[in-house]
Amino acid sequence: MWSYAFKRAGTTAVTLLAASIIIFAFIHIVPGDPIYVLLGDTATPDQIDALRHQLGLDQPIILQYLTWAGHVLEGDLGRSIFFQAPVLSVIADGAETSILLATMTMIWVAVIGVPIGMIAAVRHGTWLDQGLSGGAMLMASIPTFWVGLYLILIFAAWLGWFPSSGYPSIFEGGVVNLRYLVLPSLALAAPNAALILRLTRASMLDVSREDYVRTARAKGIRPWQVVRRHIWRNALLAVVSAFGFTFAALLSEAVVTETVFALPGIGRLVVQSILRRDYPVIQGVILVIVVVYLLINLIVDLSYRLLDPRVELQ
Amino acid sequence: MRYGPSVLMRGVMGLATASFLIAQANAATLLREATIGEPPPLDVMLTTADVASVIGRHIFETLYALDSTYTPRPILAESDRTEDGSRTIVIKLREGVLFHNGKEMTAKDVVASMTRWGSFGARGKLLMAAATSVEATGKYEVTLKLSAPNGAWKALIADVNGGLAIYPEDIAAKAGNRPIEQKDYIGTGPYKFVEWRPNRYVEVERFEGYKPVKEKGDGFAGARVASFDKIRFIPVPDVGTRVSGVQAGDYDYAEMISGDLYESLSKDPSVQVQRTNAPIFGLFFMNSKQGILKDNYKLRRAIQTALDKSQALRVAFGPKDLWNAEGSIFPNGTPWYSTEGASNYSAHDPKKAKELAKEADYTGTPIRLLVSTNYQAHYDEASVFTRQLADAGINVQMMVVDWATLLKMRGQPEQWDIFVTHHSFAPDPLLLTFLNASYPGWWDSPEIGSLRAELINTTDPAARKSTWDKIQSLIYEQVPVMKVGDAYTYDIASPKLKGLNPNGPVFWNVSTK
Amino acid sequence: MSSNSVILWLKPFIARPIALAGLGVLLATVLAAIFAPWLSPYDPYAIDPLIRLTPPNVTHWFGTDQFGRDTLSRTIHSARMALLIGSGVVVFALATGVPAGVLSALFPRLGHLLMRMVDVLMAFPTLLLALGLIVILSPSVATVILAIGIGYMTTTTRIVYGLTLRLRAETYVEASRSMGAGAAWLISRHILPNLVSPLLVQASFVFAFAQLGAASLDFLGLGAPPDIPSWGNMLAESRTFVTRAPWLLFFPGMMIVATAFSLNLVGDALRDRLDPRFRQVFGEKG
Repeated sequence: MWSYAFKRAGTTAVTLLAASIIIFAFIHIVPGDPIYVLLGDTATPDQIDALRHQLGLDQPIILQYLTWAGHVLEGDLGRSIFFQAPVLSVIADGAETSILLATMTMIWVAVIGVPIGMIAAVRHGTWLDQGLSGGAMLMASIPTFWVGLYLILIFAAWLGWFPSSGYPSIFEGGVVNLRYLVLPSLALAAPNAALILRLTRASMLDVSREDYVRTARAKGIRPWQVVRRHIWRNALLAVVSAFGFTFAALLSEAVVTETVFALPGIGRLVVQSILRRDYPVIQGVILVIVVVYLLINLIVDLSYRLLDPRVELQ
Repeated sequence: MRYGPSVLMRGVMGLATASFLIAQANAATLLREATIGEPPPLDVMLTTADVASVIGRHIFETLYALDSTYTPRPILAESDRTEDGSRTIVIKLREGVLFHNGKEMTAKDVVASMTRWGSFGARGKLLMAAATSVEATGKYEVTLKLSAPNGAWKALIADVNGGLAIYPEDIAAKAGNRPIEQKDYIGTGPYKFVEWRPNRYVEVERFEGYKPVKEKGDGFAGARVASFDKIRFIPVPDVGTRVSGVQAGDYDYAEMISGDLYESLSKDPSVQVQRTNAPIFGLFFMNSKQGILKDNYKLRRAIQTALDKSQALRVAFGPKDLWNAEGSIFPNGTPWYSTEGASNYSAHDPKKAKELAKEADYTGTPIRLLVSTNYQAHYDEASVFTRQLADAGINVQMMVVDWATLLKMRGQPEQWDIFVTHHSFAPDPLLLTFLNASYPGWWDSPEIGSLRAELINTTDPAARKSTWDKIQSLIYEQVPVMKVGDAYTYDIASPKLKGLNPNGPVFWNVSTK
Repeated sequence: MSSNSVILWLKPFIARPIALAGLGVLLATVLAAIFAPWLSPYDPYAIDPLIRLTPPNVTHWFGTDQFGRDTLSRTIHSARMALLIGSGVVVFALATGVPAGVLSALFPRLGHLLMRMVDVLMAFPTLLLALGLIVILSPSVATVILAIGIGYMTTTTRIVYGLTLRLRAETYVEASRSMGAGAAWLISRHILPNLVSPLLVQASFVFAFAQLGAASLDFLGLGAPPDIPSWGNMLAESRTFVTRAPWLLFFPGMMIVATAFSLNLVGDALRDRLDPRFRQVFGEKG
């Protein structure tokens, strides 16, 4: 187990190194640069060159990478060109929104997706199952921004039940500010709940085909008992790992929803930073996202090993 | 991972201060403004980005400010006189004006700011290129010496947008060309900078030490009274979200609403509509340095002749109340209004355009039109014109890129033939970007060279106006740029707000009573 | 394909009427794309600002947009972009994912390296990767296909890798290997034919999610060039009119939902037909 963990951590580190080089190379071949956006419409070439020099953007790319990587190893992700603040604090600020939004979304997903998926599995093959799975498929086929726009129109502009947009930190207005995240989390939950629903259903069906389940059934244990004791626990494994990855994806991939609802999250931070060529922020955020993804990956792998001894780790 | 503990710390500290902040927030009056996006650093001297000026105007002040007729009036200055055939300008400063750091503003601060603005300010060269010296000739007196008179000097230092904002001496002196740090956002304005939370808001609070001028508030000039304790400028990039946010009461004010919502919002009791009195205008720049349009005035005229500008304006801005197909560069009612050459503004004559193109030996070579979708209006105008030009046999190929790419590409003359941007209202022709020979487009024909010098060095308003008439006529002959037309943008606000400013979004002299 | 196998493929659809309906919608979309110039009542690019933002009526069934262009004609022409981007992404994902997956499974040393690279790519947030690529390469249809395709290249590689490993372990493959069969023979004779059905399933899911991905990119203003009619562009251009001209949002939105839903239904029906050995390789995300 431990030697596996070490080996796994080693490959994770190599992956991270490769990723950091890709991030850096990738970002610096983007045309345009922050200077123009920074100085606005009327900057003269002299001003541009001088500022580029000051920001170190005129150095060879390899040198820029090494400088950056060196600082990263010391825990310093650099300073945002635009916000004039440490990248770390910019990310921390966005992380609050993203983590809360992802958490709230996952709560909807768990509350809606898992139980309905179980019902569909237990009623496998019936009209109810077909209806629920079909409904889930429909939910997964609707663009989130389309849902979001209509949610704002109905629940914010017409009914006034929830705020339309933005998210003031809960550290400033208290927990009631979570109401700002209700509509966006619902918009995000729709497709993800649908996917989890189908995954729950599928993995329960898979497990129910296993021999030990058949044996249990043959012994005459009542169907719901079989589900509760044998199927559910084992099907859980796949669902939980999917939860991990969905959560990780939501942290960074909620860009469109964050744009529609004007949320100060990580996704929008990256998109804006890409559009303004705020290199330190793009590099920092993507690096953090990659680290989080790799960690979740590692945890999921190791927990498989712990939870299910049959899994053979190479 | 290093960021873990810091997130946690922030959380703990946040919780600790939360109750305190809640108590405070209840007592304080707060204005929430939805801006079109996150601003660049608020070093307003350096940047001409409107998002930065809207916020910066509350923090920083200029020696003069424009009133509702766009005439410069003293704000930090008290009076001025010129000597030596207008080559020496002596500005007397208002006494007792305090910076947000508590220090009094003196001539030294103005000199340091003027020096930095002259070297690095976005519009600094317009005035300071001819400066021979800037000196403090008294505690409250600044003397600027020029090698040649400048007829527009006061207008050139009357707004913060890339303009001469007054910073404390030490900050201005050490800043150089790099944007100043947040802790140095120290001005003399009615609001002082509090904090900038990325993607959330920029917050300013009332500056208790502010001393307004005696005159009544008028445009950006006159007394400035801060009646809100705090203002938050919140970036809300999606216009639909800005609108529903004001309707739902989440914001008190929202900028730059799309024209097509104008009619319905005008009737909506949950908002009030605030139309600006200073039109912006779309501009199509022709490449005067390289490529098929270089010196090719006939082909440029062919292009302009093919266009129906009102079609583009209708698509880009919606109802007729919000746009005006006006050929004069300056709108009617300003001293610079001129009809010279304007008959060529929007002929919409494809037949004549074809003839002109033929005379210019145009054979269907693609003309590259550089445009960004970050501004919907630019893209709308470009789409309409491309279609109209196709009808006249002129082959235009749109290159659609994001704004940051466009800003870089337009500096490279081999990349484009036409690019699209817009220009905000200018109180003086010298502030027009296309009169600047180093601005992309690089219009620097001998004719404009001599007229430009004449415009700068003349001080008599009537003489300057007649020079301007000649320049506008030349603009329609050489077509360095095509003006699309005047567009009146509008903002929306909560019906509770009183005293909104038609010059643009500023929130001094605005209240809920 | 013999008539027999056609019937075999149609079987899951006949058993499930809703999947058959999905197939019908897809067929209609393909026809609309092919015959767009004849089906559209107007030139989708023709601008007429005087009748802009007209609600649906007898002459313009779906109303007009802010340029005064006919929404119905644009909706029909957009089917072309939908098919182009969808099939482009599928072709890209398969053309890269299949060789990478098959070779990785057959040659473990190469496989180790390739799968590590896939791991690195998978660690990147897909949408952000796509956005970055588009800004670098400047928006065009090809860029959009590449940007979306890269995300599915990795998943396809993984799936093909998993499938091939299973196939390789099958006794008959093992047997022919021991008889000295070359890799080429192995691939063409045993592996590729067995991959056809699972890849068809994968293709339909990738096609479906490519629709949604392209719409998201369009919405952020970083998708297909905005002058080309596409459902995502139509939504992006009209989102400010959600109250003023709701039909502009409704029709293209419905088309995205309809095609993505149909593709998912078809993929689902095909998957149920798959050999259960292969089914679990898919998981649910496609």
